[in-house]
Amino acid sequence: MSEFKPTILAFCCNWCSYAGADLAGVSRLQMPPNVHVIRVMCSAAVKPEYAFKALSEGIDGVLVLGCHIGDCHYLTGNHRTKKRFPVAQRILKDVGIDERRLRLDWVSAAEGEKFQQVITEFVSDIKKIGPNPLREVKM
Amino acid sequence: MTDRVVVVGGGIAGIQAALDLGDMGFEVHLVEKSPSIGGHMAQLDKTFPTNDCSLCILSPKMIMCADHERIKLHTYSEIDGISGKFPNFKVRIREKARYVDITRCTGCGDCAAKCPVKVPSEYEESLTNRKAIYLPFPQAVPRKVTIDGAHCRMITQKKCGVCKKVCQAGAIDYDQKDKIVDIDASAVVIATGYDQMNVSLLPQFGFGIAKDVVTSLQFERILSASGPTGGHLVRPSDGTEPKTLAFIQCVGSRDAKTHVYCSSVCCMYATKESILAGEHAPNIKTTIFYMDMRAVGKNFQEFVQRAKKSYGVRYVQSRPAKLQPAKDGKGVLINYEKKGTGGEVAQDEFDMAVLCPALEPSKSASKFAESTGLKLDSDGFFMTPDLQHPVDSTSKGIVVCGFASTPMDIPDAVTQASSAAARVAEMISGGGC
Amino acid sequence: MPRIGVFICHCGHNIASAVDVEKVAEFAKTLPDVVVAAHNMYSCSEEGLGAIRKSIEDNKLDRVIVAACTPRTHEPLFRRNCERAGVNKYLFEFVNIREHVSWIHAKEPEAATEKAKMLVAMGVAKAALLQPQEEMESGVIPVAVVIGGGISGLVATSTLVSQGIETHLIEREPQLGGVLKEIAVIGPEMKKTKELLDSIVKEIKSSPKAHIHLSSRMTDLSGFVGNFEITITGADKCAEKVKAGTVIVATGGREWSPQGEFGYGKMPGVITQLELERKLAKGDVPDSAAFIQCVGARVPGREYCSRFCCNASIKNAIRIIEAKPDAQVTVLHRDIMSYGTAAEKAYRDAAEKGVRFMRYGLESLPKVEMAGDELHVDVYDETLDDIVGMSVDNVVLAVPMVPIENVKDLAMMLKVPVDKLGFFLEAHVKLRPVEFATEGVFICGTARWPSSVSECIAQGLAAAAKASIPIRMGKVKIEPITAYSDPEKCIACGNCVQACPYQAIEIVTSKEGRKYAQVTEAKCKGCGNCVAACHNDAMQQKGFNTTQLSAMIDALIKNALEVAE
Repeated sequence: MSEFKPTILAFCCNWCSYAGADLAGVSRLQMPPNVHVIRVMCSAAVKPEYAFKALSEGIDGVLVLGCHIGDCHYLTGNHRTKKRFPVAQRILKDVGIDERRLRLDWVSAAEGEKFQQVITEFVSDIKKIGPNPLREVKM
Repeated sequence: MTDRVVVVGGGIAGIQAALDLGDMGFEVHLVEKSPSIGGHMAQLDKTFPTNDCSLCILSPKMIMCADHERIKLHTYSEIDGISGKFPNFKVRIREKARYVDITRCTGCGDCAAKCPVKVPSEYEESLTNRKAIYLPFPQAVPRKVTIDGAHCRMITQKKCGVCKKVCQAGAIDYDQKDKIVDIDASAVVIATGYDQMNVSLLPQFGFGIAKDVVTSLQFERILSASGPTGGHLVRPSDGTEPKTLAFIQCVGSRDAKTHVYCSSVCCMYATKESILAGEHAPNIKTTIFYMDMRAVGKNFQEFVQRAKKSYGVRYVQSRPAKLQPAKDGKGVLINYEKKGTGGEVAQDEFDMAVLCPALEPSKSASKFAESTGLKLDSDGFFMTPDLQHPVDSTSKGIVVCGFASTPMDIPDAVTQASSAAARVAEMISGGGC
Repeated sequence: MPRIGVFICHCGHNIASAVDVEKVAEFAKTLPDVVVAAHNMYSCSEEGLGAIRKSIEDNKLDRVIVAACTPRTHEPLFRRNCERAGVNKYLFEFVNIREHVSWIHAKEPEAATEKAKMLVAMGVAKAALLQPQEEMESGVIPVAVVIGGGISGLVATSTLVSQGIETHLIEREPQLGGVLKEIAVIGPEMKKTKELLDSIVKEIKSSPKAHIHLSSRMTDLSGFVGNFEITITGADKCAEKVKAGTVIVATGGREWSPQGEFGYGKMPGVITQLELERKLAKGDVPDSAAFIQCVGARVPGREYCSRFCCNASIKNAIRIIEAKPDAQVTVLHRDIMSYGTAAEKAYRDAAEKGVRFMRYGLESLPKVEMAGDELHVDVYDETLDDIVGMSVDNVVLAVPMVPIENVKDLAMMLKVPVDKLGFFLEAHVKLRPVEFATEGVFICGTARWPSSVSECIAQGLAAAAKASIPIRMGKVKIEPITAYSDPEKCIACGNCVQACPYQAIEIVTSKEGRKYAQVTEAKCKGCGNCVAACHNDAMQQKGFNTTQLSAMIDALIKNALEVAE
């Protein structure tokens, strides 16, 4: 059985976490290649439906990365993201998807190292949780 | 009073000044003596402390300059003279004959491929050759070829003519003459930048004597993927990868016999080049011989720490007195005094050595100063004696930015370029104060 | 049917060293709606851009994807390139395979190539669903606000008003001048500070366009470039609202206090550089002094170099010796940072005048003790390889400049970032040193990074130049990433109205009596909060709509998961 290579989606906000990801790149901080970034303007623009869709169709993990509380470029966006998050996790749990496959974290534009750390940890955690059972495996 | 400004020098400072002035609504004429704008920044592989790819961050600005509706580029051009006084300067621009009609040239390169004449490439710091008809580098702006009349057989001996035969756009014109363009401008911005000192004048450093002693700009070209070695870190004598590398700081700088001043950027770029060397050749052992490690900007100290901790770069506080070839003309022997030993002299061998030469104001600056009456200091930098107006030259209406005024790095040059634009706006919009 | 062109960039060896660019291009050809896939060495060069334009023409492309570096730098360039070739600039999608792939997976080329393919597939899926958009223009209030009346803020204000731009200068102290007020002479130029400050303040005050608010602070800021609303609160607690087009941050820094270092706070002769400045200004010149450089700087926990302290010490050392030619002055340092022309010459000048320079190391710090009534310093000089002792009137600690205390509050109000040290983070450290990523807000002086006086002045000028551009042009372009609702789907629940941080949405009634949410485009900042708050899929955001993002997720699933294990 070949090693489990998770496929992970990350929503990064333009002003903080996407810039932090860029900084990680500029600083050449190495990390596992499992995470695919979708750029959005604000973490609060990430509909929980996207996470539900991704996880119910086989994606192994979904990361939502926004600005630190108090620093949101759009003032209150990340507060919404923070409030929404436990509800989304609860829904996942109720439908039988491991809620740990959805994670929320805050990365600022100056935190290349934090981005590296979050990615590395999340990939490692998902590897421990295992492949998403809803993933279709074609032989 | 017009809203026309001439910017002299198309390096990063000149480009930024032109862009700011254009955005502010002024009509800008950007004059550059080489066939392309970009200056020395276009030769660098990466820039400190982020190690951004230099051309990647520069070429969008170059293209914005070329595209800007209020900026006119005069490349391969020089300033013949400036007369008049603020706000009525008369600037005479000499557009040198390229012998190429740039409205027809498509930059395809067929001509250069067939040209039989080889000339040491200025862009590649003479590490390799270009042709007599050439594009200085692939990302040149404008992307048009130029015939170097001094080396072209047709221009000097009326022989050859291959490029004209091969050019499908019909762009070659051997009869082209220099064109004089007179501009009435209210202000002039000088951004003529720097040139590396000719280190052959200091034979004790072994340049031109030991094959494996190169200058830092040559090293940038060696590191660069689009350079003469395809980005492979190899030494000139035998094309092998060096296992040991030395940087010599302050070659000609901080030296009462040549230049007393400090060239400002060399501590940082040597650190950068040593990090890049470590990325190209992970087991390389690099030593930087320095006097004071001037890492004063944002994130600069961390950059030096990174070189020490992640790349094992050794910083030795010492001023090597002599570099000479090692056995069989390969490698370099470096004599230096060991600190705190009361004068003990060591001689270490390195596979390759990089000299960080003094950076002098561009030669075009002194020509320019003569024709305009602008005062230069004893080192040839344009004087900006009024602290309250740090970009004002000694002539009202003429401002200076970037290295032309004093050694500085890219962010400071970019800042000063915007300062120059502000001063021009102040003088012109402010009714001349 | 969209006709998509995909262009993969090598970026020299920045991308190509880890990502097999040709394989990615080959893969792109297999994606739906992709008509052509090519790769080039430097897409952002004239050649690269020209090749893309030619391909658009030859292949009649109506959607373009470039897979290269980060959109945060080059997106405008490639958008304009599409426009030149006749393709609406919003029918362009940028895929980041450098900062997000080649640079962070440098040792895993196979995985990096696979990831690049996935990101391209996601980009293609989004591009197929992009719609042409037009930029809007918004007016600019022809007023600038400068926060901070130190040297940088003063110069910025002076430059703005002399261009005829109305400017409000906000200063929290009762006088203008900032830290520079405490320094009588500026080095290495040796210019009298009072002359400099008086001259600049005079220029400002002589302009009817300048409004100076002393003992005041900015207590609120709202709006966006061209249309900021700023609340200025004075000492009397009166709040004044000012509308402005652009804002310059020039809030400076402060001297770090070296409590407990080298006897500071215990031994009366141990003083900081600013305390020495005050002494010298009163004519109180010591007969002997030892300057200790890098106190609290270039140490674990505060690694940075504060840039001008060496030059400040050299200037003061020269002043002491010129006032008292027999004075014994020593500078204990860990590198002398006298970069450039004037500063290096001043260093030489000081040495020639008899100032001693001794190099010490972090491992063996100078010892400062009281020997009876006298202050005594012992230092291991690395060059002499010996310990040198001296008795001095004063030990002057050259300490770093640090950010002001409430910098985080200010940053939050302005919606701009600060770095880990508390210095403001500019848009790009190399090429945009006086700008923030947030449009319309600019930075100069020590608030960004400790800078010499001449550098502060240059930065003040530069920030003023940038701040004047939108005002001079009279308009700014608004990116069409605004939200809009579908009245058919909207059930007027009001979630979006609540979610919007800018009150840009209201429930309106159609002619037929149907209630639905409507967005006022000029107020919409394109955050997308309303989209996520809408459970009926009625609210959408241009360039980030739900079908587009869902398609990206589908593309990842299809290409990454439906592969044999």
